[in-house]
Amino acid sequence: MDETPFQIDTRGEFSFPENHKFDAGFGLTEATIDYICDAKGEPDWVREFRKAALRKFNEMPMPTHWAPEGINNLDFDKIRYYLSHGTMPYKDWDEVPDDVKRTFERLGVPEQERAFLAGVDAQYDSETAYNNMREELSKQGVIFVNSTEGLREYEHIFRPWFGKVIPVSDNKFSALNHAAFSGGSFIYVPKGVKVAQPLQAYFRINSESMGQFERTLIIADEGAELMYMEGCTAPKYDSATLHSGVVELVALKGAKIQYVTVQNWATNVYNLVIQRGLAMEDAEIRWIDCNIGSGLTMKYPAVVLQGRRARGEVVSISLAHSGQLQDTGARMIHAAPETTSNIVAKSISIGEGRASYRGEVNVLKGMKGCKNNTECDALLINPASRTDTYPAITVNGNACAVQHEASVSQVDEEMLFYMQQRGLTRAQAMSLAVNGFINDLVKEFPMEYSVELRRLIDLEMEDSIG
Amino acid sequence: MDFPQNMSMEEAFALAEAEAKLNQALSESKDRFENAVLPNRLNEDWRFGRPHKYATALAELLQSGIPSQGEAMVEHAGEAAVAVTTEDDDLRQTEMLMPTIGSDALLGMHLERFGSGYALYIEEDTKEPIRIEYTTTGFYTPSTFIMVAPGVRAEVVEIHHGIGEAASMFATRNIQVAEGAKLKLLHHSSNMERYMCITNIQNMGGQVVQLTRHDTHDWAREETVAEIYTPGSDTQLYSSNLPRNGVLDLHTKQIHHAGGATSNLLYKNVVYEGGTAIFAGNIFVAPGAHNTDAYQSNRNLLLSEKATVHSLPGLEILADKVRCSHGSASSGVDEQQLFYLLSRGIPREEAIDLLAYGFERDVIEKYERA
Repeated sequence: MDETPFQIDTRGEFSFPENHKFDAGFGLTEATIDYICDAKGEPDWVREFRKAALRKFNEMPMPTHWAPEGINNLDFDKIRYYLSHGTMPYKDWDEVPDDVKRTFERLGVPEQERAFLAGVDAQYDSETAYNNMREELSKQGVIFVNSTEGLREYEHIFRPWFGKVIPVSDNKFSALNHAAFSGGSFIYVPKGVKVAQPLQAYFRINSESMGQFERTLIIADEGAELMYMEGCTAPKYDSATLHSGVVELVALKGAKIQYVTVQNWATNVYNLVIQRGLAMEDAEIRWIDCNIGSGLTMKYPAVVLQGRRARGEVVSISLAHSGQLQDTGARMIHAAPETTSNIVAKSISIGEGRASYRGEVNVLKGMKGCKNNTECDALLINPASRTDTYPAITVNGNACAVQHEASVSQVDEEMLFYMQQRGLTRAQAMSLAVNGFINDLVKEFPMEYSVELRRLIDLEMEDSIG
Repeated sequence: MDFPQNMSMEEAFALAEAEAKLNQALSESKDRFENAVLPNRLNEDWRFGRPHKYATALAELLQSGIPSQGEAMVEHAGEAAVAVTTEDDDLRQTEMLMPTIGSDALLGMHLERFGSGYALYIEEDTKEPIRIEYTTTGFYTPSTFIMVAPGVRAEVVEIHHGIGEAASMFATRNIQVAEGAKLKLLHHSSNMERYMCITNIQNMGGQVVQLTRHDTHDWAREETVAEIYTPGSDTQLYSSNLPRNGVLDLHTKQIHHAGGATSNLLYKNVVYEGGTAIFAGNIFVAPGAHNTDAYQSNRNLLLSEKATVHSLPGLEILADKVRCSHGSASSGVDEQQLFYLLSRGIPREEAIDLLAYGFERDVIEKYERA
């Protein structure tokens, strides 16, 4: 292969030549599904399952009455639904092809550091390219594989929960993912096992017009604990790319799951991800979510609080630049008594960017002693920036307390003046102010992510302030 | 068109331009009603409001051919009040341009048959509050128009009251407040099977303080749109309700077309028994409306296991240099407060009533002090 296939840049705007072993072509039909199933060697029940989901997908309407208008520009026939280098994940670092390695190099994660990480599930295009697990973890009985392998090898654990948290007919994009899913992780942590190091997946899209329909299922058995991190960067493309993943979490009695996402797709990517967790008795689920890239993001991490004293939390940061719409938020369904939830969302709108918070808190009938707290703060940088807040709160009965607060503000001129007077440039001052605004949330992210986040915000600010 | 004799060329042009603008707006408005569909499940402005049940029922009433039945009276108005009917062109035009919150189709039907009402042209300070009262035993569709001249301070009380078991009413109200003027409006409605009121406030640099209260309806919907056109305007919207059974559906919009203005909203509900209270508010700050201060707050006290609250506060901010916030809180009675009262020998029911009274009292005080 030729050397220097990419240009040097600062924000991941580069791409590698495409060289795929499997390519299902454009559009999604039964033939596409057959192609995917054959390529992955999937059992017949999965094939039937996918086809049923495809019929649902074709029947269901787009969520047009409330969704952002940009979603109507999506053309399902101009998307490639499956691309892959092959079906087997690379077990050893040496087996990973050079061009894939180089991509990770550019992502800023050195090999040694990744070797240190508990298990790296690095998704390159639709299939997991690198999947390495530390021996200790397997000794503890922790399963960390890609979803294809999970379905094949651990059907008895995977299948009972497959599509249970997010059913096929939940919405159009859920049906789409059930029909075309590939990649993603399957994790099972046995009873009482506390995974000390975060499990991590880096993945990226690297083919034009390619949809990434990753499917992740994480099951934490009674008393288990784990943290999962995913981060993504994507090169820039000319035509729109669709990313429509489904992430299901199941926290059984007393389990704890933390799910961290840092999303930095190119602005031609539609990022329509469905994330939902099921928290049983005394369990805790935390979504830590950061959206910086993509042209249109619609993402509302949810927790269904199904057991007594379950706890849900969403911490969300979003940054909308010109041409971007970050429609993010959270959902909390209190389906058991004495459940508590907390939502903290902060957004920053730059240039003509638009950041929206859309949320739902629902305390079902007869649920006593439930508590929810929601805070949304928005920061507007330029005169043309836009921010919206659309929460929906439903409370049944007199034994619960639910509160929501939102505020919108801009960077204080006096603060900027003070910093400039001390010798900082306006961009530096602005960057410092913005970092201060989200500082308490950035602290929630693991070390390397918070460093990356700050660097990204610095870069964004440099562009926005003339 | 005919111009007055002593008009200058510039004034004549300005008048002609205004007329053309109005005609344009009216013809657009006609399209609006022609294209409008009855509120259905997909209508976001009717979320949780069960449009298939209530909007449909109201539309059936409006189209049933039942004549508008009701009595309108006004007190303490002096020369300000003019009784109006369907024939009044000014009022028709004003109503045609009225914004709604998801109910264009219903407003269109109201226009077809709005019946009677009062227009108040208030040019002097009111000594006593002007009192407008609409009562009905059947189905009544009145309209009110209130215009307050520059610098004038006015107070108006508007009562909508149903008599008997099966009274229904669908009312509209237009308010225009000029620079430096002040209007305090108390709106009280009660005892209706179906009740809906659409209010449009146009604030051109004055102060408007509105307090609404809806009592003992089976179904009631309020739509209040406050449009702020001039810097220096101050708009305060308050509501205090005690729904017992039935559905109370409150919708508000604070639209800041111009910067440098303030608006404040506080809606409180104490929900008893099997009552349902819905609040959906929105603050819209138009591009360029900088230095806006807008606040919105919804508080609900639930007093029964069967009580339900839906709260949808919203913000849409298209300008920077703004200070906007909204808040929503819903809960039952604070156990510690209740314990304190019980320990003083106050019976439980009385204690809860006392706490409910204290809860909604501050809204009324805010109105009284304004």
